Amino acid sequence: MPPLPVITGLGFITSIGHDRPTVLRSLRELRHGFERVEFFGNPDLPVKVAGTVKGFAFPTPNWRDWRWPEPFAVDRELLRGLAPHGVYALCALQQALADAGLAPAELTDGTTGLFCASAGSPFLLGHFLGQMHATRGERGNPMGIVSSIAGTLNFNLAAHYRITGAVCGFVSACASSSHALGYAMDEIRLGRQQRMLVVGAEDMTAESIVSFSSLRALSQNPDPASASRPFDRQRDGFVGTGGAVALVVEAESVARARGARISAELAGWGQAGDGHSVAASHPTGAGLAAAMRRTLADARVNAADVGYVNAHATSTPAGDRSEALALQAVFTAAGARPRVSSTKALTGHGLSLAGAMEAAFCALAIDEGFIPGAAHLAEPDPVCEGLDLPRISLDEAPRLVLNNSSGFGGSNVCHLLRRPA
Amino acid sequence: MKPPLPSAPPIRPASEQEDRIKHLPAEARTAFHRFQAGGDPAGLDPVIFAILDDFIPRHTAVPLAALPGASRLIDDLGFDSLAITEVVFFTEDLFGINITNEEIIQVRTLDDLRGFIRRKVAVPAQR
Repeated sequence: MPPLPVITGLGFITSIGHDRPTVLRSLRELRHGFERVEFFGNPDLPVKVAGTVKGFAFPTPNWRDWRWPEPFAVDRELLRGLAPHGVYALCALQQALADAGLAPAELTDGTTGLFCASAGSPFLLGHFLGQMHATRGERGNPMGIVSSIAGTLNFNLAAHYRITGAVCGFVSACASSSHALGYAMDEIRLGRQQRMLVVGAEDMTAESIVSFSSLRALSQNPDPASASRPFDRQRDGFVGTGGAVALVVEAESVARARGARISAELAGWGQAGDGHSVAASHPTGAGLAAAMRRTLADARVNAADVGYVNAHATSTPAGDRSEALALQAVFTAAGARPRVSSTKALTGHGLSLAGAMEAAFCALAIDEGFIPGAAHLAEPDPVCEGLDLPRISLDEAPRLVLNNSSGFGGSNVCHLLRRPA
Repeated sequence: MKPPLPSAPPIRPASEQEDRIKHLPAEARTAFHRFQAGGDPAGLDPVIFAILDDFIPRHTAVPLAALPGASRLIDDLGFDSLAITEVVFFTEDLFGINITNEEIIQVRTLDDLRGFIRRKVAVPAQR
């Protein structure tokens, strides 16, 4: 049998909390992380709500003006090469390593790898390119590239933590950090690495979020208590968020040998393309259904054994519909009826962050014995017929949990998490 | 390293300069204003130390101004090539001068840098 990847550490910088107890309480009590915002200082923009990352501030592109909450420490040396989401990521990874009981010196011997996912920093990239145009190419920030392009997370974190194992970044839009986690599982299953650090993060800036307005993908509902309502009949788009989540994944034998606490096993993963559209999801969720089936097959479990599905559902009319149909094809058609909810109702949609964040939520659900409810769901879309969407969080301990993600171009990625034996 | 820039950058408007130095200590801002008003470049030391302090990867236990002039930027103070590039760009923009890669490679110590900037800003053609 190949080594079994298990989760031994979690770190959260999210709209619903910056530590495990706060995140847990938000998920259990369905406390959302949304606030009214005015992007670009423009009151005329129809997008009024975001999943804000409290206590962090990035008012200008100059790192000297940046602020983060007291408990976190960010080295000056590192800061100059970071994007805002790099600051989130560093704070989340510090937490995850502490949770796993690992010191930075234990990460440097080549048995630990690092997989990251973000879209880069449109905020910083825009600034640097503006500077370049203004000076007709004569000036540029020497740290401009490494702080702003996709890959900035792995550049910075790998150097800072002296990682000499596998280091890579993943770019598949809203499935990015799900890919990072899936391939991290493979690194362990193939015996290439004993431990993988997986980090998903995004800026929480106008530049990252308002761009989706052009796609008509954002909710225009000004009410933080109902703007994000996946699977609801009245849903009108997603609410953007940023932040970072870090997971420490280890081979089970390595985790047990050092006495680490295992929150969940990573039993399988799978992916499938829609082969359909650059931006829109497949109308019947064919790719997502295939990804779910491949994941179940990889984990050697039946649909009926899955207790909870953390849906990708972002609260867009088309995307949620596709996922509902995919869930019906995989579960309802097989006579299975797992609990289903999308925690994006509470956090907002974290784009590249989403998959890692929701995998971490699934690990919490397994570890703490609960199922997050489908928040803000007033009237389920009729297309959800047959799906079990609990309106409140349930004190049920799921043994098997499926985590769904879908990204642009029809990239669909799922993970199956299992309660430790 | 890239070849030198094709031409000296233009001197920035006063408001832009003020914006550039607003985060530097008052002593450095005063020294810069005195220089702008026609003062001796030898009085620029507080500005130079403030710029170095702003870009140094790790702050030193002793203030830069209290360190021996022979302290080496890279070996003793922990500067790397990226931080030095940041210092060069900031200094070029602040004083409206052009510093070539060949010139900066010759600058190894605190004294080298102070002397270099004094000479550079004292040349009218470069200002």
